[in-house]
Amino acid sequence: MLKKITILILFSLLAGCSQSSNDSNANQPSGSAETAGSSSSGNIFAGENLNYIVTTNAGGGYDAYARLIGRYLVKKLGGDNVVINNIPGGGHIVGTNTLWKSKADGLTIGTVNAGLIYNQLIGVKTLQFDISKFSWIGKAAGEPRSLVISEDCQVQSMEELLASVEVIKLASAGVGSASYLDTKLLAEAFDLNVDIIPGFEGNEGEMSMMRGEVCGQFGTTSSVQPFVDSGYGHFILTVGGEVEGVPNAMEFVSTDKARRIVSLIGALSELGRVTAAPPGTDPEVMERLREAYTATLNDPEFLAEAEKMKLPIDAASGDTVDQLVMAAMNQPQETIDIIADSVRVE
Amino acid sequence: MNVIGSPYNMGMLLLAVPIGMFFGAIPGLGGKLGIVMMIPFVFGMDPIAGAIFLISMHAVVHTGGSVPSILFGVPGTGADAATVVDGLPMTRNGEAGRAMGASLGASGVGGVIGGLFLICILPVLRPVILAFSPAEFFMLAIFGITFIAMLSGNSLVKGLLVGFFGLMLSFVSLDPNTGAERYTFGLLFLWDGMDIITVILAMFAIPEMIALGVEGGSMSLAGKQKGTAGYKGVFTGLLDVFRHWGLTLRTSIMGAFIGMIPGLGGDAATWICYGHAIQSSKNPEKFGKGAVEGVIAPETANNSKEGGSLLPTLFFAVPGSSGMAILLGAFVMLGIQPGPAMALTGMDIVWTLIWALMIANIVAVFFFIAFVPMLGYLSYVRGSLLIPFVLALTFLGAFLGHRSWENLIVLFVLGGFAYFLKKYGWPRPPFVIGIILGPIAEDSYHKAFQLWGYEFLLRPGALIMIALIIGSVGFYIWKSTRPKKEGVVEYVG
Repeated sequence: MLKKITILILFSLLAGCSQSSNDSNANQPSGSAETAGSSSSGNIFAGENLNYIVTTNAGGGYDAYARLIGRYLVKKLGGDNVVINNIPGGGHIVGTNTLWKSKADGLTIGTVNAGLIYNQLIGVKTLQFDISKFSWIGKAAGEPRSLVISEDCQVQSMEELLASVEVIKLASAGVGSASYLDTKLLAEAFDLNVDIIPGFEGNEGEMSMMRGEVCGQFGTTSSVQPFVDSGYGHFILTVGGEVEGVPNAMEFVSTDKARRIVSLIGALSELGRVTAAPPGTDPEVMERLREAYTATLNDPEFLAEAEKMKLPIDAASGDTVDQLVMAAMNQPQETIDIIADSVRVE
Repeated sequence: MNVIGSPYNMGMLLLAVPIGMFFGAIPGLGGKLGIVMMIPFVFGMDPIAGAIFLISMHAVVHTGGSVPSILFGVPGTGADAATVVDGLPMTRNGEAGRAMGASLGASGVGGVIGGLFLICILPVLRPVILAFSPAEFFMLAIFGITFIAMLSGNSLVKGLLVGFFGLMLSFVSLDPNTGAERYTFGLLFLWDGMDIITVILAMFAIPEMIALGVEGGSMSLAGKQKGTAGYKGVFTGLLDVFRHWGLTLRTSIMGAFIGMIPGLGGDAATWICYGHAIQSSKNPEKFGKGAVEGVIAPETANNSKEGGSLLPTLFFAVPGSSGMAILLGAFVMLGIQPGPAMALTGMDIVWTLIWALMIANIVAVFFFIAFVPMLGYLSYVRGSLLIPFVLALTFLGAFLGHRSWENLIVLFVLGGFAYFLKKYGWPRPPFVIGIILGPIAEDSYHKAFQLWGYEFLLRPGALIMIALIIGSVGFYIWKSTRPKKEGVVEYVG
């Protein structure tokens, strides 16, 4: 009897386990109903699942964009379901390596973090991909960067920061992260008298500002917007986008070096939320993917849902992404040396 | 009223509780993976209903998590591992039912007291949370590390060696200060450090299963007639929670408080509370041999810390635990924007979630109580039937976290090592303390040093923490050197 009960419990646990795995896709709507006409014999997506690689854990910004876009994209393509495949690790590298090595049949696509351009420029060995060779599908949104300063800081504007003789402390994420490199490059471009304190992940930098430990941080505008809206700080500089009443970094540029660096940060900001297919994907398949992606990002229903989820949309085509990536990769040795110095271990 | 007043929301809560407990009960799955898997389910749902579902599910993960810890010595997470130390010996002694009853009661009471504590602290939340800077995080981590002494059993030297080995393994990652690869041997999967779930499974699950295979028999060494796997044992365990009401109250509040301080991490809460139980006990020699207080303390903290960690998540958008980090992202996906503005515009959501948290903890007790006696009988299942099942779940757990097959190698190698630790009587809990608190100590030290130099040690908060550490260690030494009534402190894990 006991044996039977045990077997029954084990069986139900295993059944439950497999059910919860399936649950991850259970809420994805089937796309075939809405695209009955597209299920022709020439549609390679018909009856297939679209595998969408996300290079972070579930729950982050990349994940949110992928889940939302994926649901609509698979409908437009005439596929069955979208399968979100979260492959975190190594600061987006593990997932991007996986995307690079995936079969280039159009059924696997993925998010790519533009900050990896930094890693490729300085030749990080664990990168198994060449970011300039991905087949770019499109961009959902940019991620403009801004320099936020707390209300208690001794400098309150970019002019004051440029003239400051006192060392100003800025928080950033870990050394080698895109946030750290952005901040380091900005400091180099304008020769700022700042001390970068690394290791503040997520919104920890804002708490540090509230505690009065650091003066500010340079990061994505959207992530610090609630902090600014609550009256704890204000933006003094922006790169790669427009924030009302906040000067653009280009207004303070006075040297070629500064111009190149600001342009690089701007290009990476532009490439905020991009999606790619593995290199060598058939041009016809790419055309279908790009069309469906563009149609998704212009779908009123999609836009309403994105707005509800507070996910800004600023779409661009795969061609535009390709050009931006190529431009960002084309850096003089001086800029590459600055990036390399920023992460060099003494 | 958003919870009880709405049948739909209450339905969501009732649906979430068994799912959360299921994820907690399967080693290696845990609450984080549970939320990850449930994100598609709540995607597009009404924000309040979705948030109630997720928080209720997350609130009771550790209620379920105590089952494999107590029955098989297989914890699903670092936080659940503290329950193994006394929970497993209770099972061995034929007291699986009592242990699970105590764990169930402690989880429920801890969750509710934790919630009430949060309500009380809400008016002064901001200054309290902001009083903890990297300097205080560092001292808190050191405070936790001193508990290695209390978890070392009869040999401090063995405990320290194992603890330092844990600390050493915590350095495997990219250096947070320089970005340099540290003991990663060029392997990408080690960049983010050792996967805690894999390490915990290797240290506890693998050795217990090898030992069971070698020794034969079942997890319970006592005969069925002597055991307390039935309702009688469960109710004895439930009553134990109220019998030790002082400990229950203290560890509930400590858990909620530690959970509330972002930077220390939820796993630390259970171990610090377990250490406190030993430290404050009149009979510390019972710990590690099946002391019910050793189950009550970590289990109250396990559930109360989740409530604690909810507050910084909502008000500062800084998660107090790794589970809350994923929950934070899920909230944003639901259209709830945690952050400083929450205090101005989102108090309705805050109250709803705190109530959901407490109600879920109560519901979990009633829900689970029916199954506990049946689960208790699993401790009498023959090892040959049990081992393949537990090992399969262990491998699954190690793989799923990062979907990396390399973790299976870590599981084998470290599991083999842990078996020999067990076989030759070396304590394993200090290892967990080392690997959990090492990164917190290192990260906060770097930040504190860069912000203030060595003067960070002279900050008022840090000085209070130093006094607490000296007092705590001194008190323990004084207690340990007093003549004992019986035997010596011995850890059997």
